[in-house]
Amino acid sequence: MLSLLWGTAQATDWVIKNATVHWPNGEKTVNTHLLIRDGVLVAAGPQIDVPKGAKQIEGESLHVTAGLFNANTHIGLEEVSLVNDTVDFAAENDLVTASLRVADAFNPSSATVLHNRTQGITHALILPEAGGSLIAGQAALVNLSASRHSVEKQTVGVVVSLGQTGKKLAGGSRAAAMALLREALMDAKDYARHKEDYQRRARRDYQLSRADLEALEPVVTGQLPLIVRVHRASDILTVLDLAKTMDIRIVLLGAEEGWRVADEIAKAKVPVIIDPTANTPASFERLGARSDNATYLHKAGVTLLFTGIGWQTTHNAFLVRQAAGNAVANGLPYNAAMAAMTSNLWKVFGGHGAGLQLNRPADLVVWDGDPLEVTTEVEAVFLDGQVIPLVSHATLLRDRYAERYQLIHNSTN
Amino acid sequence: MSRWLFYVFLLTIVGCTDSKEQNNPDNETANEPFASTYQPAPSGSWVVRDAHILTGTGSELHDADLWVKDGKIQAIGKDLTVDDGTLEIDGRGRWLTPGLIDVHSHLGVYPAPETPAHADGNEMTSPVTPDVWAEHSIWPQDPQFDLARAGGVTTLQILPGSANLFGGRGVTVKNVPSLTVQGMKFPGAPYSLKMACGENPKRVYGSRKQPPSTAMGNMAGYRKAWIDAKEYQQKWKKYREAVAKGDKEAEPPKRDLAMETLVGVLEGKILVHNHCYRADEMKQMIDLAKEFGYKITAFHHAVEAYKAAPMLAKEGICAAVWADWWGFKQEAFDMVRENLAMVDAAGACGVIHSDDPVGVQHLNQEIAKAMAAGRKMGLHITKAHAIQWATLFPAKALGIDKVTGSLEVGKNADVVLWDGDPFSVYTHAEKVWIDGVLQYQRGDKPRSDFYLGLKDVSEALQ
Repeated sequence: MLSLLWGTAQATDWVIKNATVHWPNGEKTVNTHLLIRDGVLVAAGPQIDVPKGAKQIEGESLHVTAGLFNANTHIGLEEVSLVNDTVDFAAENDLVTASLRVADAFNPSSATVLHNRTQGITHALILPEAGGSLIAGQAALVNLSASRHSVEKQTVGVVVSLGQTGKKLAGGSRAAAMALLREALMDAKDYARHKEDYQRRARRDYQLSRADLEALEPVVTGQLPLIVRVHRASDILTVLDLAKTMDIRIVLLGAEEGWRVADEIAKAKVPVIIDPTANTPASFERLGARSDNATYLHKAGVTLLFTGIGWQTTHNAFLVRQAAGNAVANGLPYNAAMAAMTSNLWKVFGGHGAGLQLNRPADLVVWDGDPLEVTTEVEAVFLDGQVIPLVSHATLLRDRYAERYQLIHNSTN
Repeated sequence: MSRWLFYVFLLTIVGCTDSKEQNNPDNETANEPFASTYQPAPSGSWVVRDAHILTGTGSELHDADLWVKDGKIQAIGKDLTVDDGTLEIDGRGRWLTPGLIDVHSHLGVYPAPETPAHADGNEMTSPVTPDVWAEHSIWPQDPQFDLARAGGVTTLQILPGSANLFGGRGVTVKNVPSLTVQGMKFPGAPYSLKMACGENPKRVYGSRKQPPSTAMGNMAGYRKAWIDAKEYQQKWKKYREAVAKGDKEAEPPKRDLAMETLVGVLEGKILVHNHCYRADEMKQMIDLAKEFGYKITAFHHAVEAYKAAPMLAKEGICAAVWADWWGFKQEAFDMVRENLAMVDAAGACGVIHSDDPVGVQHLNQEIAKAMAAGRKMGLHITKAHAIQWATLFPAKALGIDKVTGSLEVGKNADVVLWDGDPFSVYTHAEKVWIDGVLQYQRGDKPRSDFYLGLKDVSEALQ
C-alpha cells in the first residue's frame, strides 16, 4: 500500500520503485525505478540514486504507463446527460456547422474531468455530435489537469456524421448526405482560393456561412482531418473514395465493420477511432460488428485509437482501459492496445504531450498491476509534471459513508 | 442516445401459480397461461476433472472435479468416482463457476438490430401498466442472447422498461435457443413486477402534461394503484367466501389483468423488482410497501445503495447495481465504484446487473471491478465470495436459488468452464452448460436465425 501525502509536487523528488514500465515505443522494462524531479522524469533504470527526502511510491507489482486517453468523449462538455442545461456537445442549429468549436464550451472543473483522472485518464479527444447539421463542428484535444490550460489543441479536426445519422440529417438518404458533404467541401475549396472575390461578392453562393467555410479550410487544405462517424463497410469505402477525390485527410470514427475493409483503410493510411467492445448488431449498419475488429484492423496495418465502453465514454471514459483489455483478449497484441490509448494520440493528432519520456514533464500513471486488467487500480497519476490528487465526488462519498457505517477502520487513498 | 434512455428505468414482477390455486375453480388463471414448455435435452453423464472451482456458496476448490448426470450436479470433490461411460473433460488450468445470472436485462424486448418494429420494452401509454407482460414482447431470435451466452450467462430476468410507475411483469428465462418464449421460460420461477421510482416516469408523463410530473406525483400514482388492488383483492375474497358458504348464485368479479398482477404481489407470489437510484427514494418505497403490506425483493440501478446499506440489510432487500455507471441522470450522480462492495460489507444482499447488451457479456468483469474497488478501500473480499454477486445472490433475488445459482449436489447443472480466472479481462467462457446440456463452446457461430444468409457479416467485403 502506498502512503503519500498529496501536496505540491514542485520542487519535490518522487521515486517510483520496482515498476514494470510500458514505454511509448512498446518497450517494456521490469524492476525499473523512476525518478521525477521538479515534475520532470529525469531518470529510469534498475538502479538510480534515490535522493534524500524523496517521496516514494512502492508496491508489490507496480506498473507504469503513459497517461491514458479516450478518443471519443464529451468530457467537460456535459455534467448530467439528461439535464440539458449542462450539455454542450451538439447544436440543434444548422446556422453553426464546422465553426462550432467544442473547446469553447469545455469546462475543466467538470465532475467528468475530476472522476476520470482518478482512474488514469490524462487526455481526451472531445467531439461534437451532429445536431442540426451533419457537419457537427471541431473536435479538441484536452488534458484533465482541471486547470485553465486544459485545452491543448483547440481544433484537431472537423467531425461529420454519415451513416444513419447523416442520412436522417440530410433528409432521408445516405446519398443526400454525401451530396451535401461534397458540396460543402467544394465550397470550402473554392472559398479558400478566392477569399477576396468572396468578400467582394464576386463568387457564387455557398451553402455554408463564412465562418463555417473558414473552419473547413484547414480540412480542404489537408492540415486537419475530417473525422467521419461511419459504421457500415460500404459507407467506409464511400468515405475513403471521397477523401481520395477531394484530396483530404480523414479519421474514421465508429467503424464497427472496419475489419471488412481493413486493407483499404490501411492502404489509405486512415486512422480509426473504435470501441473494441462494440460487437452487437445494434443496427443494420453494424451487422458485422465483432469483438476482433481491432485485431483485423491492426493486422492490416491500421493505426488504432480507442474509445468505449458503449455509451459510457464521458463519465466513465476510463473504461477505455477495460475495452482495450477486451481487445487483447480477442487477439490484439498487447502493445497495440496500449498504443491505442497512449502514443497513437500524439502520432495522429500531434500536440506536446508525448507521455512518459525521459527529460519531459511526467505524464504517467502508476498502477497496482497489469494496466489492462479489470482488477487493477490506480496508485498515482502525474500530469504534465503535477501530481493529480486521487480525489473526486465519488471518492469523498465513499469515504464519508465508509466512515459513517464503520465499514473499514483505516481507509487508504 | 438510443435504447439506453429507455432501459435505464426498469423493474419487474413475477407470478407463480401454486397447486392450490390451480385447483381453485374460481381462479381463471388456474391453467397458467403461457406456461413454460422448456425441456432440456438429456445431458448424459459428464465430469470436469482437476478444475479450479468457485462453488457460488463461498467456497474455492483447487484441482477438484464436478460430476453432472441427468442435468443435475451429482458430486463435487477430489478424484470423484463416476459412472462408467461418463464423458471426461479436462479442467486443468481452467475455472468452473455457476452459470452467470443477469437480474436486469432487456434482451429480446429491445433486441438488435434496434428497429421500431422490435423495440417493445416500454408500454409508454400509461404510467400504470401492471397488465403487460415482458414475455409477450420478447423476440427469441434476438442475436444478443447468443452473445450473452458466450459470456457465460445462463439465466436472465427480462424486464419491461422503466418509463412507467408499474412497468409490467418481468419473466425469468433460460438463455437457450428457442423458437418460442415459452421454450425459454424458467420452470417454476416466480414472476416479477417491475416498478420504477424517480426521474423516468415523471419525465415521460410530465412532458405530456399528464400525471405524474413530480416525485410526489409518482408516490400518489403508486398509492392509488395499490388502493385499487386492495379493493380488487377484497372483491375476490368476498366472492370466494360466498362460494365457500355454498352460495351457488355468486358471480365472480370480472378479471382485471393489472389488478391480478398487483394482487399477486400483495399475496407474496410475485416479486417486486424496483428501479430506484436514490437512498431517500428507497425509504419512500419501503414505507409504501409497508403501507400496503407487500415486500420489495430488490432495488435495481441502486446507485446510492451504499448510503442505504444498513436499511437494506435490515429490510432484507437486495441492491442490484452496475460496477461504475453514473452521471447519465441526476439521480445517478452519487455513484461510488465501491457500491457493491460496501453494500456487501454492510451485510446486505448485493447483486451485479447489466441492463445492457454489451455489459451482459462481461458480468464477470463487472464483478471483478467491483471486487477490486472494494479491496482497494480495504475491504476483504475473496473471489469465492464475489462470484456470488453474479450467481447465487441474483438467483435468490429471482426466487430460483433452490435450483440454480451455485454448484451444489442436486442443483441444475448451469455451469461455466472458463479458460482461466473469470476475474481476468483475458478470460473467456470455454463451455457453457444449461441443465447439463452444452449450449455454447468457444468459437460457436451465433444460433439466432437472424444472421442466416447475411453472408457479408462474416466476410471481408470484396
